[in-house]
Amino acid sequence: MTAAEWQIVWFTAWVAALSSLAILPAGLAAAWLLARRDWPGKSVLETLISLPLVLPPVATGLILLQLFGRRGAIGGFLHDRLDLDVVFTWRGVLLALSVMSMPLLVRSARVAFEEVDPRLEQIARTLGAGNLRVFYTITLPLAARGIIGGMILAFARALGEFGATIMVAGNIPGRTSTLSLAIYQNVQLGDDAHAFRLLGVSVALAFIAVWGSELLLRTSRQKP
Amino acid sequence: MSLLLRHVRLALGTFNLELDAELHGRITAVLGPSGAGKTSLMELVAGLRRPQSAFIQLGDRVLTDTARGVDLATRHRGIGYVPQDLALFPQLSVRQNLRYGRRAGGEADSLFGFERIVELLEIQPLLHRGVTELSGGEKQRVALARALLASPRLLLLDEPLSSLDAKLRARILPCLARIRDEFQLPILYVTHDRFEALSIADEMVVLIDGRVAQTGTAQEVFSRPANLDVAGLFTVETVQTGRIVNLADDLATVAVGSTLLTAVGRNLPANTREVYVCIRAEDVILLKGGDSPSSARNHLAATVKSVSREGPFVRVDVDCGFPLTVLLTRRAREEMAIEPGDRVVALVKAPQIHLIPRPA
Amino acid sequence: MYNDDKSTSYGNAEIGAGFRHRFVVVLHRAALVNSSMNKGILGLLTWLAPLALALPLRAAEVTVFAAASLTESLQEIAASYETQSADRILFNFSASSTLARQIEEGAPADVFFSADEAKMDRLETKGLILRKTRKSILSNSLVIVVAADRGAAIERPGDLATDRVKRLALAEPNTVPAGIYAKEYLRKEGLWSAVEGKVVPMENVRGALAAVESGNAEAGIVYKTDAAVSRTVKIACQIPAADTPDIRYPAAVVAGSKQTGAATAFLEFLASEKAGNVFGKRGFVVLKPGSPP
Repeated sequence: MTAAEWQIVWFTAWVAALSSLAILPAGLAAAWLLARRDWPGKSVLETLISLPLVLPPVATGLILLQLFGRRGAIGGFLHDRLDLDVVFTWRGVLLALSVMSMPLLVRSARVAFEEVDPRLEQIARTLGAGNLRVFYTITLPLAARGIIGGMILAFARALGEFGATIMVAGNIPGRTSTLSLAIYQNVQLGDDAHAFRLLGVSVALAFIAVWGSELLLRTSRQKP
Repeated sequence: MSLLLRHVRLALGTFNLELDAELHGRITAVLGPSGAGKTSLMELVAGLRRPQSAFIQLGDRVLTDTARGVDLATRHRGIGYVPQDLALFPQLSVRQNLRYGRRAGGEADSLFGFERIVELLEIQPLLHRGVTELSGGEKQRVALARALLASPRLLLLDEPLSSLDAKLRARILPCLARIRDEFQLPILYVTHDRFEALSIADEMVVLIDGRVAQTGTAQEVFSRPANLDVAGLFTVETVQTGRIVNLADDLATVAVGSTLLTAVGRNLPANTREVYVCIRAEDVILLKGGDSPSSARNHLAATVKSVSREGPFVRVDVDCGFPLTVLLTRRAREEMAIEPGDRVVALVKAPQIHLIPRPA
Repeated sequence: MYNDDKSTSYGNAEIGAGFRHRFVVVLHRAALVNSSMNKGILGLLTWLAPLALALPLRAAEVTVFAAASLTESLQEIAASYETQSADRILFNFSASSTLARQIEEGAPADVFFSADEAKMDRLETKGLILRKTRKSILSNSLVIVVAADRGAAIERPGDLATDRVKRLALAEPNTVPAGIYAKEYLRKEGLWSAVEGKVVPMENVRGALAAVESGNAEAGIVYKTDAAVSRTVKIACQIPAADTPDIRYPAAVVAGSKQTGAATAFLEFLASEKAGNVFGKRGFVVLKPGSPP
């Protein structure tokens, strides 16, 4: 494995991890809203969140490219006002990974929140806790296992993301090249040896992720 | 502290909870069959449910006033709630559960001392245990302590003893009495067990099908059910239709079939004729082998129809012109050797025959 | 992205057009002999039968793997071809490197039209093309493009090294012909080290074009013929042919083709004057026939 290959591995792992953290605030908020609140048009939010799961990844990538490109609604603002570029940078990779893996987190977290007995939250309120305190001391701890499971799913999905990433970030060596993009490119180049090395790393990473999640679930089961 | 419930209306599926009541008791029991709306009433007071309309005031604080759009958030109501399923936080230890209602660093303004309550409810040895390891009775006491430690101004208990055996009940009931006395805390107590209510409550509200069927002191409600439904709730064993043939000096002569009874006819509407006659089984005395004068106004010649065991008691069904149920201790029955077919005299005091006006 | 709108189905094996043709002719001749000897219904039937066989005869489907830069020209040429032949042309437009790789893996192509000789050489060494059919048909030139409105101010190639250009879109410079040509040019001009860090490698030359069109790259190097196709980019600099490496577009019939006859026929058409006019109109340089492959 060359230095360049290690860079790709390292880059992929940390952007995937960063994306799993980045989606937490919005993801948990959405999951909580879907679990605990009802409002007209709720299905709109549900559909929006499920879109990246259901659309072909390149289609999602195309939508993101339109929105975050330099001439896009959001990208234009970022470029003109903040001199910030998203497309063709590591931020584009982060964006693609986050958007594609968010639905998985939201689904798991929603189920986890729904399984928290609302009675417990009510009692906490009678004991004087405000909404935020109820969330942090009752809802979140009891939903933690499901949420962590969701994060791991999201991380795994982010590790393997391809379609949206190549659209939004391209495959710029040293800057936006992820494991899956690099494997694809090496196959295109005919450099199979290189591709298989990266494939080996992918499999190893997948094993670590799954083993890590099993460990987490086992230890959390032992908590009082 | 009084609890005012005015113009309360809450839709509950097949019926509405509607009531207007003013509760002043120290322990007020809310009695009623299941599904009558007792738990919903609790939730309303605690602010966990929104009514169609209501005015709820606790002491000097208005909790709910739908007319003016006032709906105090649950956490500001200062109401301790122990639901039927207790709802102890499974992810926290007992101690953490207890401390949950304490405001951070606000030890000084807590009304009820931690040590005192722990001692009162005897939960000291449980403090470091996990909640899931506790027995039913232990959980009950922890839940109670947790609610108390939040310094509530009113305590709502939803069937606190229903899932406990007789021994445990006997242990915890006095705790409640002690709490009432020591902390001067008004308690609203939901139960379906009339004896439990009688033993602890000084005020009773009977809720049937979402409406208040009767309020009053426990004694009043118990001995003078306002209508048939309430009477049914208190399982008066003998209920017969009768007709008032004479009413003079508060004494009413009632005909049940061809048998004439003397009952107290106080508080009956002016021209009541048709009534239900209610006699509790434990209020009837049996005499065997001849009659003698007694203070009881009613001496009814009767034949024993059946005898059956009911726990420590014996239920004797007699026919005195109408079916009458009598409750004796086993001892009494053995000593008197009561058997089906025996001729006996049933004695009932006039005040113990309760009359309920009957729609014609 | 730039594939022909006709379906790129890699058709089933079917009876070669040539064989069927011969079969029909034989039957027809037999029928002629018959009818002269025995006029009657039987004779009539024998006369008609070969015709009946000829009618539902399936025309050949020729699958052409072609460089992305040839998209519009080839579509126009194929439409014209189909008016004079029963055969149908199906296209697969992509980067020549991708196409070569697909052919190496056994994709069912009949004709390969590459944007550089290197890819064709690779296939030829592996015996994957019919060497005798190989011919270099076109040349092209490179241009530097910027967005048509609010594009970066690029007057000379050297401007690419300034910070007016933060991102330079190229077709992948190690594999795709357009990228390879551009990289060689930049290296020759001594600009490569300055711009290397700004390069955004795209899957094919049209991807580079799109990146400039969308404004996500300030400049790009594409073929002159690509710039002509787009209305939202403008040519900032024309790169003189003398400075670019030799750009040649060879075409050949793929060895594994199941209809070499029809494939060869189409290839001939590509090298014909009629096709040459279409190419020329779109900005390609048509090489004289007989140019060294």
